[in-house]
This record gives sequence, C-alpha cells and structure tokens, in this order.
Amino acid sequence: MAELTSNPVGKNTPRVDAYEKVTGTAIFTDDLPFGPGLYYGRLVRSPHAHALIKSIDISKALEVPGVKAVVTGQDFDTRIGLYLVDRPVFAKDRVRYVGDPVAGVVATSEDIAEEAAKLVEVEYEELPAVFDPVEAAQPDAPLLHPDLGEYKVANFIFPEPGTNISEHFRLRKGDVEAAWPRCAAIVEDTFRLPHIQHVPLEPHVAVALWEPSNQVTLWTSSQSPFAQRDLIAQSMGIPHGNLRVISPYVGGGFGGKAGVSMEVYAVAMARAVKGHPVKLRMTREEEFIGTTVRQALVAHTKIGCDAEGNLLAMETEYYFSGGAYNDYGVNIVRAAGYSCTGPYYIPNVKGDSYCVYTNMPIGSAMRGFGMPEIHWGIEQIMDQLAEKIGMDPAEFRRRNCVKTGDIILTGMKMPAIDLVACIDKVTKAINWGKKEPPSAPHKKRGKGIAIMWKAPAMPPNPGSSAIVRFNEDATVNVEIGAQELGQGAFTVVAQMAAEVLGVPYEWVRVSAPVDTKYSPYEWQTVASRITWSTGNAVKAAAEDARQQILALVAKHWNEDPANLDIKDGIVISYKSEREQPLKDMVIYGLPNENFEGWKGGPIVGHGKFMPTYVTNLDFETGQGPRAVVHYTVGAQAVDLEVDTETGQVEILKIASAYDVGKAINPDLVLAQIEGGAVHGMSSAFEALKFDERGRPLNPNLVDYRIATAADAPREIHGDIVETPLEDGPWGARGVGEHVMVQTAPAIANAIYNAIGVRFNDLPLSAEKIFMALQ
Amino acid sequence: MLARPALPSFDYVRANNPDEVVRLLQEHGAAAKLLMGGTDLFVRMRDGVIRPQIVVDVKHLPGMRAIEYDEGAGLTVGAAVTMNQLARHPQVQTHYPLLAEAANSVASYQVRNRATLGGNLCNASPAADTAPAVLVLEGRLVLHNPQGEREVAARDFFTGPGQTAMRENEFLKAVRLPPPPEGSAGKYLKLGRNKVGDLSIVGVAVFAFPDGTKPSGYVFRIGLASVAPVPLRAWEAEEVLATHSPGEETFALAAEKAMEAATPIDDVRASAAYRKVMVRALTRRGLERVWEALE
Repeated sequence: MAELTSNPVGKNTPRVDAYEKVTGTAIFTDDLPFGPGLYYGRLVRSPHAHALIKSIDISKALEVPGVKAVVTGQDFDTRIGLYLVDRPVFAKDRVRYVGDPVAGVVATSEDIAEEAAKLVEVEYEELPAVFDPVEAAQPDAPLLHPDLGEYKVANFIFPEPGTNISEHFRLRKGDVEAAWPRCAAIVEDTFRLPHIQHVPLEPHVAVALWEPSNQVTLWTSSQSPFAQRDLIAQSMGIPHGNLRVISPYVGGGFGGKAGVSMEVYAVAMARAVKGHPVKLRMTREEEFIGTTVRQALVAHTKIGCDAEGNLLAMETEYYFSGGAYNDYGVNIVRAAGYSCTGPYYIPNVKGDSYCVYTNMPIGSAMRGFGMPEIHWGIEQIMDQLAEKIGMDPAEFRRRNCVKTGDIILTGMKMPAIDLVACIDKVTKAINWGKKEPPSAPHKKRGKGIAIMWKAPAMPPNPGSSAIVRFNEDATVNVEIGAQELGQGAFTVVAQMAAEVLGVPYEWVRVSAPVDTKYSPYEWQTVASRITWSTGNAVKAAAEDARQQILALVAKHWNEDPANLDIKDGIVISYKSEREQPLKDMVIYGLPNENFEGWKGGPIVGHGKFMPTYVTNLDFETGQGPRAVVHYTVGAQAVDLEVDTETGQVEILKIASAYDVGKAINPDLVLAQIEGGAVHGMSSAFEALKFDERGRPLNPNLVDYRIATAADAPREIHGDIVETPLEDGPWGARGVGEHVMVQTAPAIANAIYNAIGVRFNDLPLSAEKIFMALQ
Repeated sequence: MLARPALPSFDYVRANNPDEVVRLLQEHGAAAKLLMGGTDLFVRMRDGVIRPQIVVDVKHLPGMRAIEYDEGAGLTVGAAVTMNQLARHPQVQTHYPLLAEAANSVASYQVRNRATLGGNLCNASPAADTAPAVLVLEGRLVLHNPQGEREVAARDFFTGPGQTAMRENEFLKAVRLPPPPEGSAGKYLKLGRNKVGDLSIVGVAVFAFPDGTKPSGYVFRIGLASVAPVPLRAWEAEEVLATHSPGEETFALAAEKAMEAATPIDDVRASAAYRKVMVRALTRRGLERVWEALE
C-alpha cells in the first residue's frame, strides 16, 4: 500500500482522479450508456448573419424514415439567460449570427438526423448585419434586439433599449480633465482583440430525457449543473424539483461550459419524444461557432503619469463584441468596467464599458472573464509610459501597482495581496535587465513583463455547500456540487476535508458525478472560486463532523472536548491519553457502560459558504463600498526570440508568480501556471476569422492553431506568493484563470523589446510581425 | 456549411489484387475512391467535398507497404507505406535523408501513423510536404492499369490542385527514386503557424551534389510546396545555381528566382505576398544549409 498522508493541506498530494484519467477509465458524458431507446439530435443552423425567418417547412424532414420529431422556435414561447434573458430556445422570428439554431431534428441515428436537418426548408429575408462593436453601438446601426426593453435582467446590469447596447458600466473617480495637464507623459491608443474559442478537449455534449411523467433528466458536460437546472427549469417551465442535471467529469471547460449554451436544445428536443433520451453533441466545427466564444474587444485607452512615474489619470472606453446573445456576456463587460484600470492605483478614472450586440457567435465566459481583453492594451501602455519617462517597466509597475489597503477605483479597500513580490519573483527568474544574445544572427531576442488582477465576477451572493459523511471504516465521502474540470477541485477539497477531520488524505473520496438530485448546491464552477468558496463550505462541513465526533467521544470518556484531537483517524485525548479509532464509532456510535444503550450515530457534517458583504455599485459612478469579494494578482515575464526573416516568434521562457494566499496543493498551482502560459500563447497567436458576411473561415483544428506541447516554452517557471486571504480556507484564493490573463501583452512587450515594433491588434501572426519589419 | 458529425455511409471493399482495383474503378468511375491512410479522403468525405459510394482499400495489395533499397536500382516505396514507416526506415535515413525529413514533417505523429506517401502524392494538394522532396529526388510514380503498369516522372505527375496525370482506371502502386548521387545533401524547410501539425504555408526542398559537367561544379535542385496550383521545381533558380559559383550572392539570386517561380494565393493561412517572400527566405536558408553539408 502506498504511504498515507497526514495533514495534507499545503502538500503535493496526487490528484484523486489521476489514475482514472491516465488509464482512460474516467467516465465522460458521451461514454454513458443509454440503451437502444436513445435518439440523436442535430441542429439546423442559420447560414445568414442577420435575417428574418419568413417560414420554416419541416414536412420533408419529417418524412425521412427514422426521424422522430422536428422542433422549431414556434414550439417555445420563452427565452433563456443568466444575467439577461435574451436568447430564444430556437430562433423564432429572426436569426442573429451564422450558426443560430432555427430547428432541431430528432432521429434514431445521428446520421439520419443530419440528413433530415438538410431537408428543413427555411425562408429567410436577409437584414443588414453589423460585426464591429463600435459600429454596432452607433444609433443608426441595424438593431438586433428591438425587444431589449422587455427582457428580464439582473438588477446590476443596465441595457439601453432601442440600441444594441446590452450593458453599459460607468466608472467615475476623481477628475480626469483636471489631471491631464499635470501629466508628464500620456499615451492614448486603440487596441483590438479578435474572437477566440476555448477549444476544450471534449466538445459539448448533452443527453436529455423527458419522461412521460414530466420528470426531466439532463446528462451534460457542464461547469454549471445547478445553474443549468435553474435556467432551463425557468425557461422550459419545469419545476426545479422535476429537473435533474447529472454531470460526469468535464474534459476541459475554460468558461465555455459555464451557464447554458447548447444543452437547452437537447431538453427542447427531448420534450418532443417523451420517454426517449436524446443525445446532442457538438462537432469540433460546431464547438467553434455553435457554443460560445470569447468576446472581441475594441479598447480606446488613454493613461498619463507624472515625471516621477506616478500614474495620475486614465480614461477608457471598452466596446465588447457581445455577439448575437449577451445573456452571460453582459457580466463580463461589467467586470471589465469595475476593474478597468487593471492592477494599478490611479487617482482619476473615467471608464465606460459597453457590451454590444453584434451578428457574431455568442460571446460568453472564458478564462479571465474580461481581464485578458482589457490587460492587452493597459499593459502595453504601461510599458510605453515607462519608456517615455525613462523608467524601467518593472520598476514602473512596482511603483504603481495596487497594494494592500489602497482605495481602488470603485472605492473599495484592497484586501491583502503582494503584487510587488510577484514582480520581484518573475524579474529574478527571467534575469530582468540583462540583455541576452539571440541564438542566431537573423534572430532578435527580447524580454517583456506584464502584471494582472482579477476578481471573481459573480452575482453578490453565489453560494456553495458541502456534505461530509463517513463510511464504516472511517473513510470519508465529500459531496460537493462543484465540478472537476481538470483544474483539481476534487483533489483540493479532499485535502481540506482530511486536514480538518484528522484522517489521512487517502481515506477521502469525492462523490461523483455531480448530480443536482443528490449533490449539495453549488452556484457554478467558474470565476476561480471553488478553492475559496467551495473550500470554505467543505471546511465548515468537516468541522461540523469533527465537532460531532469530539462531542461524542468527550461525553463517552467524560472529558472536555477541548482536550481531544483527531490524528490519523484516531481520536486522542491529550489529557488522559486515551484513544478511540474513528472506524469503530463514526457509523455505529459508542456503547454506554455495560452496553446499557448507545450514543451517537452516523456522522454527517454539513457546511455552507456565501459571501454576504458585496454591495451594488452606483449606476452613474460605479462607486460602492465593496465591488467584489477579493482580487488575485500576479506577474508574468517572457523571454523570446523573433526570427526577422520569417516573423516567427519562439517563446524561450515564461516566468509567472501569483499570490494565491495559500497553495493548498502547490503542484496543482504550478500545473495551472504551466497550462495558463501555454493557453496564453494560443490567445496571443491565434484567432477566429470571419468573412465579410460573418461566416467563419477557420472553425476547425486545421486552421485554428492552438499552441501544442511542441510550441510550449522550453522552460515555464512558476513562483507562488502566499499572502493569506481573510476569508479564504487556510487563506487560499483562486488562480485558475489568472495564469493566462497577461500572457499576450507580456509577449507583445517582449516583441517590442526585441524588434522595436508595437502591435495593437491580436493575433500576433508571423506574417503580421514580418510585414511590420519591412 | 459545417462538417458532418460522422462519415456518410459508403461501401467498403478490401481489394485482394490489382486487377480487382482496376475493375472496380472501371465499374464505378468517379463514384469509387481509393483508400490508403484515409487522412485526406475521410476528412473530405466528412466535410462533404466528396461522397463516394464505394471506397476501395488498396493498402493490403502485395508490395504496397514495402520499402526496398538496391544500390543499383535505388529505392522503391510502396504507395501505402506510412509516413512514420518511411521516416524511420534505416536505409531511407541513410540514403534519402531528405525524404525522411519531409515525411517526418507531415501533420502530427498520430496522423503519420496512417498517412501514406502514395496518398500524399495522389491527393495532389499543392501543400503536400513529400512532393518537393520526391520532385528534387527525381522520383517516378509507378501506375498500375489494365495494360500492366507505366511510370510517370514526378515532375509530370501534378497537373492542378487535386489533379494528377493518373487516368481513371489507374492507381499508384509505388514510388521509385534513383540511387542518390555521390556526395549529395538535402534539406526540407517548412513554414507553419506552429511547430507541429500544421499545413505548410510554404515548403522548400533543396537537394544538391557535385557534378563536374556543370559550370558551377554542382547540381542544385529546388522543389516548392504550397505556393502554386501544384508542387513544382524552381527551374530558373536551379539554372542560376548550375552556372554561378556557389556562395552568398548566387544563393540570393537563386532565391529571388525561386520566388519568381511561385504563384501563390491568399488564404486563411497566409497572404500571397507573404508566401512569396517566404519562398525567397526559405530557399536561401535551404541553400545555405545544403551548401554547409556539401562542403
């Protein structure tokens, strides 16, 4: 037997799911068996970016042998959405992007459904389309949602009916106009980011069963089983108790499997064939345009500093291309608004962040949630300002970066963090300030730095809950509603439970799959919030169980519970030195003297966590006592070479440091740092491309090139900084998204350092770099 | 618009002898497609570009997966030899390292376990990575037909994007390469968007050996991929190298001529303008590398 690990918090325990995943026995949604009654669904998608639906004729499709049902927007009256309920179940009167589903075909095989889908005849009347968010925000732009004013919306989101603006966040602090004349250096520029896609290893898949009794079950690869239950129940008129969402392991989410995307179509199709499960799975091509993408951004930003390098003022407009439906995306834009300065203390700020409907794929959550987008421009401007006043860019950042206790842009006091320590770590790791030679005469070498911040972007009150229960042998089941996406959630909660309960790590199991019928509530596995929020709930549940155990044994021994402890699965008394193995008592309880009755019973601990202190922000100024729960901060430095004959960039090294409060499992933090660096490279070098009619040009892995293991830097260096978070379990805060937020601008700054050319627009293709050198 | 979830239905026939293949081709015409690795065929079927009713698997025919080397006759590579098989074959590595290098540059390791040399050539993509190598090694393609077989020089084989000199009732059995000239050296340079697995934006093969009959004392051959409707030789560049003494200036001039031979298009991978200058850059780089190896 392998060695047992006591007190595992802070140790590199192996992942609880390692064996299953390495050996290929881990179960994913598409692996689940459903027997011969299983039907398959395929979607009919719009070929137009913007058009009215004049008619839909499903008769030919229905005649195909094996076709069981065809559903269209006419079959559903409601919309769906998390923050802004703007998305019809199927497009009803108009389509708003190339790929917008207009009908779903259910058949006995995927192939039959596909063939029949081609026979659904849709008559369209094309409308003028708009793709650029700045154009779409103009008063005379073609309107995508004339009914915007009627949509249900969260109380902190502010759409502007009669326009394409689905959210406008305003930040006003100090007086920027008065500050500009005091600036010794000002940089003003426009930066553009294109759409990118998450490219999870496992494409979206959902299986829905609508029973004749109107009980509905949805099996889905999801970061958000509970949010899916909530949103689908509301939109489809199912009582929450009648809708059960079961979610096995998720083969990568990165935000793309947050909220509801294609899953509602599976449920809608299942309603038409009650009693038969219906499987809907996205092809890789559909994954690119038929699920969600990261929103594109146009940022106009102006920042100024004095001669000593103190930032004085910032004015910025962020125009996010929200795509056809902004049900989730509006909150990305709000987050970009209340964090619009990036990780800097700036006394005077004017920020406007707009989410704009465009005839593009649906923009939604993606790792970083607005932060990679805004840091792209901010972090390049900081380098330019430093250069203008003759200061080292790292020193410039040390001077201006946000520090513990600062009153930041929203008026909130910055919780404890140490961003300067992160800058110190990465500059040391990359030999900052030392010019190193390139590997060949036709290459040029450069180094760049970028820093970041990100808060969990959520409603004010997202809850987590957990249950800890013992088995007969004192092994433990931890039940959570948070999902294992590969990020290591199950491993860290097992570590936390073992730590509190005083049992070896190896005794803890995490109940899976997540099942809304049995798992305790969890808002969503998003926002890098699980280690912190679910961690707090698990810690509370384990403490509850622990207290039950100690109270019982103390009573049994007639001792004070304060003198008792649990070590390696044995209750011990520091006073009497008595011992009581957990395995003899956590289910059966303990006998009274002479077996005159028993006390105790199965130990089950409950815990919950919900932040209670976040406030809404003023509509006009974005000011409020507490905008967010906390921020995680970090720094990255990049060392690279540019081949001046081809424009190709080779990343030699990426050094990252993040203040995670407490690394519950340092190896998992370093794994996030490595994965994030490579993901960040993909976000710098590749993008979705569209033709002039909004049709995707590269929705496939042939022409959408993500960085591979071969492209990864020879060295990815990671450092962990630990400034405890006040309400984090053992001080921990999340780091899942932060690790890629500033990679693209760090690369751009290093390219500038190498060749003296700045790039305001992503992606950084070799061709673009080469042409700029000519 | 988008690819199907899976392949459309088709009949699969595993051919047992060459005559059966010819018979099926004659019987079904364009409705029949030959299967080797399937790494292009199945992708095109899934994309809806083609929809054959019958797929004839020819990779089990005698000799299709064999590599034979003879000092006098040279190398014979069965059409269904996989890229990985080719790239790690000891005699290919020793006598035709350029071919091994080109084979090893195709797609990813996993794809190279299926992708075949014959498939790469018959698919006739302008971006075929093995085509420039086979062109500069002066390969000949052995075609089986009802009359027996015939050989076509690689330089005459490619006639357009996806088009070859192969007739409807023919199929590729093998590729023959002459014995390598004494003292030869070669290099294949591929420009992709990332390091592994990409299609070529530009591919350049350079092959050279001493030849006293040439004014320069050397024969240089240059093959280009992804920069014209077909993979091609840069004849004018080769002429420059045959007549001017090797060195920086000659290589620059030859690279210029190679660029002029390229007639690329704009696509989602790169612009024509970038491709052209990359032909020049990679040709010059390839010439320098090969010259270093020759010296």
